[in-house]
Amino acid sequence: MRVIDFGERTLRRREVLALLGGAAATGVLGLPRQALAAKNGGILKVAAPANPSSLDPATGGAGSDHSILWTIYDTLVEWDYDTLKPKPGLAKWSYPDPNTMVLDISEGIKFHDGTPLDAEAVKFNLDRNRSDQRSNVKPDLSSVDGVEVTGPLQVTLKLKNPDTALPAILSDRAGMMVSPTNIKALGNDTDRKPVGAGPWKFVRWNDNEIVVVARNENYWRKGRPFLDGIEFNIIPENATALRSVVAGQNDMAFQLPARLKPVIERAKDLKLVSSPTLYCIQVYFNYARAPLDNVKVRQAINFALDRDTFVKAALSGLGEPARMTLPSSHWAYAKDVAGTYPYDPEKAKKLLAEAGYKDGLEMTIGGYTDQDSVRRGEVIQDQLGKVGIKLKFTRGTIAEISAQFFAQEKKFDMLVSAWTGRPDPSMTYGLGFDKGAYYNAGRTADPELSKLIQESRASQDLNERAAVFAKIQRFTVEQALSAPLAFQYELDALSAKVKDFQPNLLGKPKFENISLG
Amino acid sequence: MLNAMRLRIIGRRLLHAVPVVVLSTFIVFGLLKLVPGDVAVTLAGDNASEQRIAEIRELYGLNQPFLVQYGAWLWKAVQGDLSTSLVSSEAVLTSIERCLPHTLLIVALALFTALVIGVPLGIAAAAKPGSWIDGIVMAIASLGVAVPNFWLGMLLVAFFSLQLNWLPATGAASLMKDPAAALSHAILPALALASGGIAEVARQLRSSLVEILSSQQVRTLHAKGLPPSSILWRHGLKNVAVNLLTVISLLANRMLAATVVVEAVFAIPGMGGLIVNAAMHRDFPVVQGVVFTMVLIVVTLNLLTDILYSVLDPRIAS
Repeated sequence: MRVIDFGERTLRRREVLALLGGAAATGVLGLPRQALAAKNGGILKVAAPANPSSLDPATGGAGSDHSILWTIYDTLVEWDYDTLKPKPGLAKWSYPDPNTMVLDISEGIKFHDGTPLDAEAVKFNLDRNRSDQRSNVKPDLSSVDGVEVTGPLQVTLKLKNPDTALPAILSDRAGMMVSPTNIKALGNDTDRKPVGAGPWKFVRWNDNEIVVVARNENYWRKGRPFLDGIEFNIIPENATALRSVVAGQNDMAFQLPARLKPVIERAKDLKLVSSPTLYCIQVYFNYARAPLDNVKVRQAINFALDRDTFVKAALSGLGEPARMTLPSSHWAYAKDVAGTYPYDPEKAKKLLAEAGYKDGLEMTIGGYTDQDSVRRGEVIQDQLGKVGIKLKFTRGTIAEISAQFFAQEKKFDMLVSAWTGRPDPSMTYGLGFDKGAYYNAGRTADPELSKLIQESRASQDLNERAAVFAKIQRFTVEQALSAPLAFQYELDALSAKVKDFQPNLLGKPKFENISLG
Repeated sequence: MLNAMRLRIIGRRLLHAVPVVVLSTFIVFGLLKLVPGDVAVTLAGDNASEQRIAEIRELYGLNQPFLVQYGAWLWKAVQGDLSTSLVSSEAVLTSIERCLPHTLLIVALALFTALVIGVPLGIAAAAKPGSWIDGIVMAIASLGVAVPNFWLGMLLVAFFSLQLNWLPATGAASLMKDPAAALSHAILPALALASGGIAEVARQLRSSLVEILSSQQVRTLHAKGLPPSSILWRHGLKNVAVNLLTVISLLANRMLAATVVVEAVFAIPGMGGLIVNAAMHRDFPVVQGVVFTMVLIVVTLNLLTDILYSVLDPRIAS
């Protein structure tokens, strides 16, 4: 029911927009034309933090790709900016029975090359995502057994097991629709010559330099997009990105570290946007071996960490202390789990003594070399030092250190890193804590947890799902399978002319509402 | 100028370049493999599973023996194909063609600045060693060596871009399509890069000039009544030309390496950014391509230096 509710609301909004668009074109409403014209046009110049890994959603892999991908591709399902609750995108969904999902595609949508976005195109995409050798989204769609065309604008997904995480999964890479004509014509070259059905069309991509997109004149949402185009200037160095906005070369820089907040505040004519995200800074544990195979040691670490101080010291106050792997604004946040680990160094020492480490212990930990990671590491080192846990730090690049921790080497006991968040919480728990998951360095999991993760995908009702997630959270928190520290706030710098930018909980900007004043 | 002797030198040097290129790319390839981290993990993406990572290793031949992988790369490179980036699928040659001009422009401009400012400073200091001019020049030189170029870069941006709004703070433009914009983008990074060079040129020039000016030969010229200016220009400078050439050649090599930092500060899509990004992801075809190109450039620079040596001082050629 809830889902249908959203559909109606979106439709209504869409109708209003369509009406407004039509009215503006004909002047029926008698609105001042300039007011509407001002909403349209202009090129937004954005300092983007990373070169895309690919512009084909199925073959790419980096989380930083999304902001660019969303301009070119629309997704089957979308989400609410503040809570990440899924809502209809290119299609509406329903579950006639737990093992069947039906997608009803909106009428009259075309890809940039004129190919109709119909049931055949959706089936083509989903089949490709499920089976192509180069597809990185195969694991996301592992619950899908088959895709059938059941109408010109309807596909039916047969599921191996109930999977209500699919709507959120289809709001991510797996639900980005690419033109079948383009894939058939270009094959692997579509990585660099993408054709989607999104609000903007691909124009140019120079590696490590720029990605350019231009308005899709035939976009299905009438009156959209507002911007004629977007230029993503790739600037990995945060301070340089911000300088480019201060100097007026770019209009916007996003995902800036908290330490740059004073610079934005001091700059003239710059807007600061900061908002909660799912980006969870945390200490990963390898709990398959000593000493972290002992739950008391893991709990001791959780009691020893003063999260409020961490937010102040390591994030300049721009964040939310993390009590579990989901922030308080998320729909599946479990309030009654939040108080499990108040800052209590005495309790930590007691637990360590019970675990047989009365005189403290030394552990190895991996971290990254960038300024922000080093700062985080120092705070953690200090806080754990106070209860007798001495940390031996090894630092290196992300590729190096995370491979040493997560891949075969298993080099450290712990890793200070982050979990960037996923549209559906079951992805977060499945990828991070389930048996054999890559981000679970020890690869082991309690069968009860695996069962709960399965169960979290069984119900369509968000309240029921939230109740299962509460159980999962209680399990991961009480078992102290990791030490979440803080949710980093998104920090963006915008020039004054950028209007209506709205941040989202996923922390990856979308540009659909932006206009240039 | 290109007599048989010089041609032989050039030929021999070019032959020497082959093992240098092979060895350096082999070493870099080896280092990339030794350092932990795996391009397969990057390629598998955020939702990676062990199984997917293994599939990717298989798909891209990343699980093949080290020598097989290197051999395959070298065989292609010899045929003029520098492969494609594993991460972004762009042809490595295309990336290099786009990035190299940005880097070369900055290095050339920096070298030019180092000479235009460093040479007069060095001469002024050497003309009266121990004088206040000498003192100031040496102080400037010490400062130039000590100041990190990324820090100077940020200062330059703060003043010329953010304060005065004269020059762009970041980015680059194509020299072919828009020379004026390309130059305006390159000035600040080149200045940041040149600071150490100015110091180096001034100091080296000063010390070799002082040495020559205090030599027996010059004392004789003085005794013969030759005016000091003539001694400085005709005898002094001519004799230090070889030294200066050595400094320039070393400087060019060093500046090519130092652009990595300067390019990051100014967000210039040059070779520095290309190799750093590639190394982070263990994207070895790109790393190899950049190393290959840089080695060729350095070998060419050294060859040019040698030829110029033999022109300036025929004794070297023989």
